[in-house]
Amino acid sequence: MDMKASKKLGLKERYTLMTRDLAWTPTYQAVKDVFPLTEYEGIKIHDWDKFEDPFRMTMDSYWKYQAEKERKLYAIIDAFTQNNGHLGVTDARYINALKLFLTGITPVEYMAHRGFAHIGRQYPGAGPRVACLMQSLDEIRHAQTQIHSLSNYNKYYNGFQNWRHQHDRVWYLSVPKSFFDDAVSGGPFEYIIAIGFAFEYVLTNLLFVPFISGAAYNGDMGAMAFGFSAQSDESRHMTLGLEVIKFILEQDPANLPIVQAWIDKWFWRGYRVLTLVAMMMDYMLPKRVMSWKEAWEIYAEQNGGALFADLARYGIKVPKGWEQACKEKDHLSHLAWNTFYSYGMAAPFHTWAPSEKDMEWLSAKYPDTFDKYYRSLWTHYAREQAEGRRYYSTTLPMLCQICQIPMIFTEPDDPTKIAYRESDYKNIKYHFCSDGCKSIFDLEPGKYVQSWLPVHQIHQGNCFPSDVDPGKPGFNPLAEVLRWYRISDGIDNRDYADSPDKQNFETWRTQATGN
Amino acid sequence: MSHQLTIEPLGQIVEVGEGQTILDAALRAGIYLPHACCHGLCGSCKVQVTEGEIEHGEASGFALMDFERDEGKCLPCCATLESDTVIEAEIDEEPDALNLPVQDFTGVVSRIENLTPTVKGVWIELDAPVTFQAGQYINLQIPGEHQPRAFSIASSPARVSEIELNIRLVPGGKGTGWVHKELKAGERVRLSGPYGRFFVRASAHDAEQLGYLFLAGGSGLSSPRSMVLDLLAASGDDKPITLVNGARSQDELYHHAELQRLAAEHPRFTYVPALSGEPEGSGWRGARGFVHEAAKAHFNNDFRGHKAYLCGPPQMIDACITTLMQGRLFERDIYTEKFISAADAQQVRSPLFKKI
Repeated sequence: MDMKASKKLGLKERYTLMTRDLAWTPTYQAVKDVFPLTEYEGIKIHDWDKFEDPFRMTMDSYWKYQAEKERKLYAIIDAFTQNNGHLGVTDARYINALKLFLTGITPVEYMAHRGFAHIGRQYPGAGPRVACLMQSLDEIRHAQTQIHSLSNYNKYYNGFQNWRHQHDRVWYLSVPKSFFDDAVSGGPFEYIIAIGFAFEYVLTNLLFVPFISGAAYNGDMGAMAFGFSAQSDESRHMTLGLEVIKFILEQDPANLPIVQAWIDKWFWRGYRVLTLVAMMMDYMLPKRVMSWKEAWEIYAEQNGGALFADLARYGIKVPKGWEQACKEKDHLSHLAWNTFYSYGMAAPFHTWAPSEKDMEWLSAKYPDTFDKYYRSLWTHYAREQAEGRRYYSTTLPMLCQICQIPMIFTEPDDPTKIAYRESDYKNIKYHFCSDGCKSIFDLEPGKYVQSWLPVHQIHQGNCFPSDVDPGKPGFNPLAEVLRWYRISDGIDNRDYADSPDKQNFETWRTQATGN
Repeated sequence: MSHQLTIEPLGQIVEVGEGQTILDAALRAGIYLPHACCHGLCGSCKVQVTEGEIEHGEASGFALMDFERDEGKCLPCCATLESDTVIEAEIDEEPDALNLPVQDFTGVVSRIENLTPTVKGVWIELDAPVTFQAGQYINLQIPGEHQPRAFSIASSPARVSEIELNIRLVPGGKGTGWVHKELKAGERVRLSGPYGRFFVRASAHDAEQLGYLFLAGGSGLSSPRSMVLDLLAASGDDKPITLVNGARSQDELYHHAELQRLAAEHPRFTYVPALSGEPEGSGWRGARGFVHEAAKAHFNNDFRGHKAYLCGPPQMIDACITTLMQGRLFERDIYTEKFISAADAQQVRSPLFKKI
């Protein structure tokens, strides 16, 4: 028998054969017709072969890796569920952080999947195309594993049941939703700078680490496991983001100002979305990991600072809103939780005023601001609540046209004054929470005048169930909006102290730990 | 107990101490392995173990799968050695690396000359011939000192029996102090080498017809001089060579006459000396300013079509990299003589660049 042993292929050769070598140049269609979206953004690419593949994984090994990750993850989730793991968490307030995650983050993981599938199709280079394909599959896996692991909580707790329906409707969910819709409606280069670089590289640690460490600190093995399983994909996402920005900047000097404008925009947009994370870290976790301020200092100021020091070699400057974001670290979470506390009937999770002990921690973590500006607010709310007047705001807030967050942010240098910015476009006035959001609007007003702003939509009568007549006497707009949101008033929403979740958790835990 | 680690495809051998991770040992030896989180969670540093026994340490079950452990994969950021080990890493093969084995040498100091008020030329006649690549360095034993000192070889690799070292006196430095104040011609010395991965990527220059650009500053002229001498000795290569050599003042310039002579003899070699602190009105007609400024002016801020080799103090290297990148020459075409110390490895650094 003629047996010839051939040398085992090296990693690099194997990768080349299974990726770039499978690509071809079209002959009966023009390249620009096959990839029609590569030029209109103004980015100039001269040589796609100069893209250096940041990781050398082929599709066949990709499946093998992901399959084992899934097996491990589901084994942990099953064990957690069978052992009634939900009764082991610190207390049921923690579960509200998961509701925030499922309604706010999981749907955008799915959008990230769609976005990467879309741009992967649009790149003429085989290297980035394969990398985007893998990231697209990662993102849908993240969405699915999050839905699966959190579905176990849905069996026992309120507020998880309508996450998909709510993501497209509820006021605060338009913050992450509009962020991603903005990205996927950009071109293939803007999308990858927005999500692959600005979000996955610069900001992802500020999203994932707090939630996943939060899960670990509060006894939630299930959420911790999906976090670790997702984090093992993140290294690929981060290296892709870095390689892409280097590649674009090295291809042509004309790309620099375009990329800089995207970095300015997407840093600010991503940072504004993280407002939700800030309040989760400081106010929603019964056992806290670190403060938002500390996380910002490590992940943004230190690590991000090192990155921008290196990017300076290409002529890239620190994003425009950086300095303001650093100033806001002392205020962000307090402003946000006050908003959610006040609008506590309009979100499908529970809110509460921090206890005296919680406030000691906040005061220690925010020595310059908490006692001075925010403690008196919580003391007032607590007193009102003790006298049977739990405060709920009954007016609708004014939203920023870009980030869609209510206009709650204070002036960077005056924490006692709300910041208002505005621009005129075609004789209509538009309002913004910050210089960052205003300048995003001013660059592309035609895009952002189309924003679907939940408060405007309520005023226009677009957020009521179809069976009601707002003109009829006795019409209750708040009750009808909640019905349209599919929020069961008194069950899914309002103060934790009055919730069935609290009562049930205490009953079940008592049953689980005694007779 | 320490073990030997062979890193393929480089073939480089590294000593790994008890409890020391593979990544730490590789980085300290100047070998870049891809890495990110440094504590076993992200999997960026994954390599194949082809021989030997390792301990996985804290590697996460999601970052290093069971089937991968069965296949002999490990995460160098957590893994320690249980025996002599061979790993295969995702490092690009360097077709121009000769991967010469490190050997111990003895020799006699044949002469010592003052090249400038602060730099001495030291010539060592070796007892056995040495083979090295232009740009590499040796470790010289200093009497009474535990650690040897590294010095780049300034002479051409064609001279196998006598090597030249150019050594600047570091204020307060024990090793260079001994060379400057005590070492005499006729004394015996011990050294080992050759070390380092700073060499000319000739095959890439040939394949893409790229010019050679050397930027030297401080006492960083040794390696570039050896490389230039080596290139000029080769026949059949007409690609241009440029050396920008920075010094503070005229009396700190060394090998100046020789380099001027070589530039006159070889039309493809351009020599650009640049002085940063030369007094006005001294009659100096060459470039003034730092190396990166002289290079930018000489190339009119366009470095495309080159590969650049940088040698000198950290601030000079840093300024030159920025200048080269703004003149459109990027990481893949920039080489520096870089030693990643333990302090560097712990510094917060972004992973944007791998080797510069």
